[in-house]
Amino acid sequence: MFVEEPKFQLSQPPALFARVDDEPAPLDEFGQSILTTSLDKVINWARKNAIWPMSFGLACCAIEMMSMIASRYDISRFGAEVMRGSPRQSDLMIIAGRVSNKMAPVIRRLYEQMPEPKWVISMGACATSTGVFSNYALVPVNQVIPVDVYVPGCPPRPEQLIYAIMLLQKKIEQDKNVVAKVLNLA
Amino acid sequence: MVVAGITIADQLRHKLGESAVKLQHAADGIVTCWIARQNFHDALAYLKTDVEQPYRMLYDLTAIDERMRVHREGQPPSEFTVVYHLLSFERNEYIRIKVPLKRDQPPIDTITDLWPSANWYEREVWDMFGIRFHGHPHLKRILMPKTWEGYPLSKDHPARATEMGPFHLPDEKEDAEQEALRFKPEEWGMKPGRDGMDFIFLNVGPQHPGTHGVLRIVLQLDGEEIVDAVPEIGFHHRGAEKMGERQSWHTYIPYTDRIDYLGGVMNNLAYLMAVEKLAGIDIPPRAKVIRVMLSELFRIISHLVWYGTFAQDLGQLSPVFYTFNDRERAFGIIEAICGARMHPNWFRIGGVVQDLPKGWEALVRDFVKYLPPRLIEYDKEVMQNRIFKARTKGVGVFTTEEAIEWGVTGPNLRACGFEWDFRKKQPYSGYEQFEFDIPTGRHGDCYDRAVVRVEEMRQSLRIIEQCVDNMPEGTYKSVQPLACPPLKERTMHDIETLITHFLGVSWGPVIPPGEALGAIEATKGNNGYYLISDGGTTSYRTRIRTPSFAHMQMLPKLIRGRMVPDVFAVLGAMDYVLADVDR
Repeated sequence: MFVEEPKFQLSQPPALFARVDDEPAPLDEFGQSILTTSLDKVINWARKNAIWPMSFGLACCAIEMMSMIASRYDISRFGAEVMRGSPRQSDLMIIAGRVSNKMAPVIRRLYEQMPEPKWVISMGACATSTGVFSNYALVPVNQVIPVDVYVPGCPPRPEQLIYAIMLLQKKIEQDKNVVAKVLNLA
Repeated sequence: MVVAGITIADQLRHKLGESAVKLQHAADGIVTCWIARQNFHDALAYLKTDVEQPYRMLYDLTAIDERMRVHREGQPPSEFTVVYHLLSFERNEYIRIKVPLKRDQPPIDTITDLWPSANWYEREVWDMFGIRFHGHPHLKRILMPKTWEGYPLSKDHPARATEMGPFHLPDEKEDAEQEALRFKPEEWGMKPGRDGMDFIFLNVGPQHPGTHGVLRIVLQLDGEEIVDAVPEIGFHHRGAEKMGERQSWHTYIPYTDRIDYLGGVMNNLAYLMAVEKLAGIDIPPRAKVIRVMLSELFRIISHLVWYGTFAQDLGQLSPVFYTFNDRERAFGIIEAICGARMHPNWFRIGGVVQDLPKGWEALVRDFVKYLPPRLIEYDKEVMQNRIFKARTKGVGVFTTEEAIEWGVTGPNLRACGFEWDFRKKQPYSGYEQFEFDIPTGRHGDCYDRAVVRVEEMRQSLRIIEQCVDNMPEGTYKSVQPLACPPLKERTMHDIETLITHFLGVSWGPVIPPGEALGAIEATKGNNGYYLISDGGTTSYRTRIRTPSFAHMQMLPKLIRGRMVPDVFAVLGAMDYVLADVDR
């Protein structure tokens, strides 16, 4: 039978392209196909690698948050790229910018609309402490909602925000009694 | 400017009577007239329509709380002064009209009958100073919450957060504030329905991905058709104007970075233009060219953000990833020169912070070579895209006359076909020495606004290339004593400069009393700082005239009768940032 020549030549020996999952699974060995862990750990592992931040920009920091999402810094490497427009679909609120007196009740309402479990990152000096402004118009965000991670900077660089998300992942990983909380038993 | 041998002040005197107009000297050379409250409305109407070469644009409207001011030599007594800035394109000059007021006098006349754009400006003056306007259609708070007490920019209102007492938000207060935000159509004179059918009132924002920040728009809908709209701003207000009364002239520079936060150092330039006029400082040529080069880089950076997000608003997901990558490359240069990304705070009174670092030419030349092919690619990807064209062509149209009426400047004005760029018409910082074109549109729709901005990036690259080719030698900062901080080499060698340096850093430079407007062609339009010095280390009044405020006010006019998706095409094409609207 006529065999067509492959159109592309592999420049590397095929062995290099062999994948781990190409190897036959050792089905006969029962022990190796089972992984024992706790349900808490599985839930935490899933949660920390699929953070859905709310697409919510308050000021200059929001532009650096967009940089973090965009191609150079690419937050999807850390599983947090699914920005949601609705608080009801998000579990992370990044307060990217200063909170004004007029905005504070709105932020509280948005936070209340997010389903549990939920986390908050206070990004930049303004959100954390009203920063260089510190005047009649602004309030620190922790007077309005609880905050998990504070990011310094004005505005923080995208790397700093990525670091904050990694810190948050560590925090999520260490969460205890998760199943009980989900079942409302804690 | 003198037309046929008669100054504009003489013409006003002729119209209103010899004693009705009192002239005041201003450091920026703008004709400044004091006109009493009973006459000013006639005067403004005369300047707008009847005078030869009329002042057709209401450039700015603001107020000054004069009660603590010491240096008011030659000015009529006044507790609060309302200041009108008008711009004449035919004369290519501004005029400043000041109206003196006493605290307990009845409201002064509105000028919303002359300029529709006065609406928001007068609301802002009411919100910030408590000055009421007789005949205003809707004199309600605009920047502060409706529940706010006091007028933040009056001198007896506290500035610091610590003076305001601790902030608490119990549930009852949250509910009350939310209730105050509830939209009541009857307050705005809106009908609840027509032909027996109820309208839908759709609340867009303050948290909405399409509004580019915390902006709220209430749409009055008949099905999918927009009958009317009410934008609500102020969620972003952070008291930047009040900060000017607290920070020294020198330490206010970083705050300007954060006004149009995509424009970076370009904000510094507008502010410093006014300060340097007051202080009478001349800028060395090298500093001028460094300023121009960095400003133009920031114009490109701002337009790249606009390009990507505008395409995203209209449904294209990829362009934003490309343009943000290009933006990062430009930031590479900004970081190498200034050490920061978005807010470099790089200009100083009298020049810039430091000289350019070694090897800067190569970085800039690389970028100038890199970007044009990318722009061609984006043209294919975005500008020639059929859906993009369908969503933007013929949408949000306004004419040059309407634009001038509403105070529109910048690319949005040029998209109507009016060739007006302050870099060319009123050159500052040495722009007269550069070769570049003013791109204009023809139809004044969203598509033409995009075309103008894309072409502006190319023109900015041209300017940057000329900066690299012709960078003058010499010092990067003026040696005049008010330049702050003084050149470091001199500080270390003579005691006089050391003393100036010490005073400039500890107290801040003392700027002579006076007033000046510094206005530039910023990324989004004309950005102006109107500064009043009372001979101290801080400004007495800092007024920031931003382009986005005027543009945003025009929104309802642009979307009436259109469909809901058009709102986001119009908003995207407008290119605003909320900090530029609310300050």
